[in-house]
Amino acid sequence: MNLQLTELQRDALQELMNISMGQAANALAQLIDAKISLSIPKISLVAAAEFQQIFSTDQYWFTRQSFLGSVKGEVLTLLARAGIETVGGLLHYALPLDERSEKELLLELANILAGACLRGFSTQLALPTKVSMPTLFQAAMRQADSFRWSSTLLLEVEFQLEGTAFDSRIVICLEPQSVELLLEKLNKLLED
Amino acid sequence: MPIPVTIADDSLLSRKTVRKALPADWDIELTEACNGKEALAAVAAGKAEVLFLDLTMPELDGFAVLRDLHDHHAKTVVIVISADIQPQARKLVESLGAYRFLPKPLQPEQLRQTLAELGLL
Repeated sequence: MNLQLTELQRDALQELMNISMGQAANALAQLIDAKISLSIPKISLVAAAEFQQIFSTDQYWFTRQSFLGSVKGEVLTLLARAGIETVGGLLHYALPLDERSEKELLLELANILAGACLRGFSTQLALPTKVSMPTLFQAAMRQADSFRWSSTLLLEVEFQLEGTAFDSRIVICLEPQSVELLLEKLNKLLED
Repeated sequence: MPIPVTIADDSLLSRKTVRKALPADWDIELTEACNGKEALAAVAAGKAEVLFLDLTMPELDGFAVLRDLHDHHAKTVVIVISADIQPQARKLVESLGAYRFLPKPLQPEQLRQTLAELGLL
């Protein structure tokens, strides 16, 4: 896919992600009574090799969720291993976390953050989607080609839970046809 | 005399959204700022009797702008328009002297109503 974003399109995507991220952070903040700091969203066009870089870390757990509807793709959630016990405590999990409750906590966090993020994004653009439940996966055992995202548009946001070591990154990967539709919608938004 | 008004937001789309939401018959002189430093410069230059302020911005963020205005007892009426809708962010913004907090995506009607309530129209 040969794709270039104009400055205006990039700006608009960043702003839309910023709003989605705010909604996601708020959804989590309501549950844990802590403040989450937001970063400026990153919009990038990547090739397979760069995409693989996301997984070259052992500092995070990974979950994936696919979404279907007017736009299709996959949401990946990276959850920091550091500070996960603290987050568990804030969400009233019994500590120390055993393997089962740890898994449950990770899936719950991914569902809250990625779900709200994607919902915010698709609502603002009037592109309804349905997202599946998250599943954990072992990033290290995957090759880049096991993902369909050999070359695509990535929308990435990062959450940092203040006062803890915990952070999370959400990466939205869009299928090529969906990118086209997204850009059409963006252009309309920019023309108004 | 037109009222000096500044919109401070790093996003072009966002500034446009605010601009379009302003009442067409409101007599203002509009300035746009892309970050917190530019926002403070606009205040210093007398261009921001009313300041629409985003929170997440490069260079200097909205919280820092509010702190600066607060410390200097600036008379600027600040209306925060932000995607950071967490209760803690709202509380902090209010404690730093912002008059109102409007969540993004901005609802034009809510902005107009706020301006009317603050007696700015």
